[in-house]
Amino acid sequence: MNRQTADQDWDALMRAAMAGDARAYARFLHAVTPVLRGVVRARGAALGAAGCEDIVQEVLLAIHLKRHTWRTKDPIRPWLYAITRHKVTDAFRARGARLTVRVEDFADILVAPPDPDPTEARDIDRMIALLDPRAADIVRGIGQNGDTIAQTGLRLGLTEGAVRVALHRALKRLADLRERHMT
Amino acid sequence: MKTEDLIAALSADATPGAAPEGGLPWMLAALALAGGVFYAAFGLRADPMAALAPFTLPKTLLPLALGALALALAFRAARPGQSAGPLPALMLAVPAVAAATALLRLVQTDPAGWAMQATGKTMVPCLVTIPLLALLPLAALLGALRRGAPLSPARAGLAAGLAAGGLAATLYSLHCTEDSPLFWALWYSTGIAISGALGAVAGHRVLRW
Repeated sequence: MNRQTADQDWDALMRAAMAGDARAYARFLHAVTPVLRGVVRARGAALGAAGCEDIVQEVLLAIHLKRHTWRTKDPIRPWLYAITRHKVTDAFRARGARLTVRVEDFADILVAPPDPDPTEARDIDRMIALLDPRAADIVRGIGQNGDTIAQTGLRLGLTEGAVRVALHRALKRLADLRERHMT
Repeated sequence: MKTEDLIAALSADATPGAAPEGGLPWMLAALALAGGVFYAAFGLRADPMAALAPFTLPKTLLPLALGALALALAFRAARPGQSAGPLPALMLAVPAVAAATALLRLVQTDPAGWAMQATGKTMVPCLVTIPLLALLPLAALLGALRRGAPLSPARAGLAAGLAAGGLAATLYSLHCTEDSPLFWALWYSTGIAISGALGAVAGHRVLRW
């Protein structure tokens, strides 16, 4: 696929996503993730695959929470790359500071067993563990078990609206927690 | 959690955030409130027609222009990938016009009166009031920008501070009776700059994401 078509695809997918098409949104995120991963790995080989994946997830979370700052009439790439550059720079700076300042974290990383799955990240699980138990349950249920909003509502005795609000708040809180714990 | 799983969780959250521009009415309300309280306590100038004199009108119009430009710039700064365009250059033109007006006044008046015109009688109230009037609108504007994604939080905060300061100086100009360009070019600019600096410092702290 040439660049032109890919551009139009990403623009169209994200436009549909902004109009409420969850499937288009998932496709968009799946399409950009390998590109993000390439950007992060090119700079952060020393962090290892899981360390890089932490940053990829951080960027994805930022794209998600800031997607309303993209104007749907603009092409998506300049926005996407600006967000990515900002978050990746931020993430590397934060890790540099952490590694030099907090030795216990460094030790923690050294003793962690190597992860067989390169898309498995570590930071996010620590952050999810810091959420309140129900919010953590909702994020894990929908993310890892593939529950729908409706199923989650039934399981927890919540309305769909309440689940949506709780999920949105949980994702926002995850980004806040990262910001606070990584800097 | 795998990236795959995170994407599943993200795409289930269909609630996009609110646009930063949605906070504009709050900023304007905060400005109106600050102005209302200020005018109620200290009043407008007794001779409103004098505000229209050629050397006096710019002390209202220039801060208004700067405030409006900085406001537009602040909202642009909140959207990644948006260029600032000609806004910074236009903003720089404002102090340039103020300085030119002051120079024009200098050559027209007797050097013996320069110092008196420049310091006036209300230098300290002016320097205190403009940043104070800007405080509430600045807070509201920073609140709006927090919904955005400024790539440089300090620069976005600076634009916010200049916006709040410029609009605050506009309000202040309708109270203030110091009509010499030597006075307002110096002290209004300083008051607005103080507000800008406050905005930059606050922005660096609260606009990170």
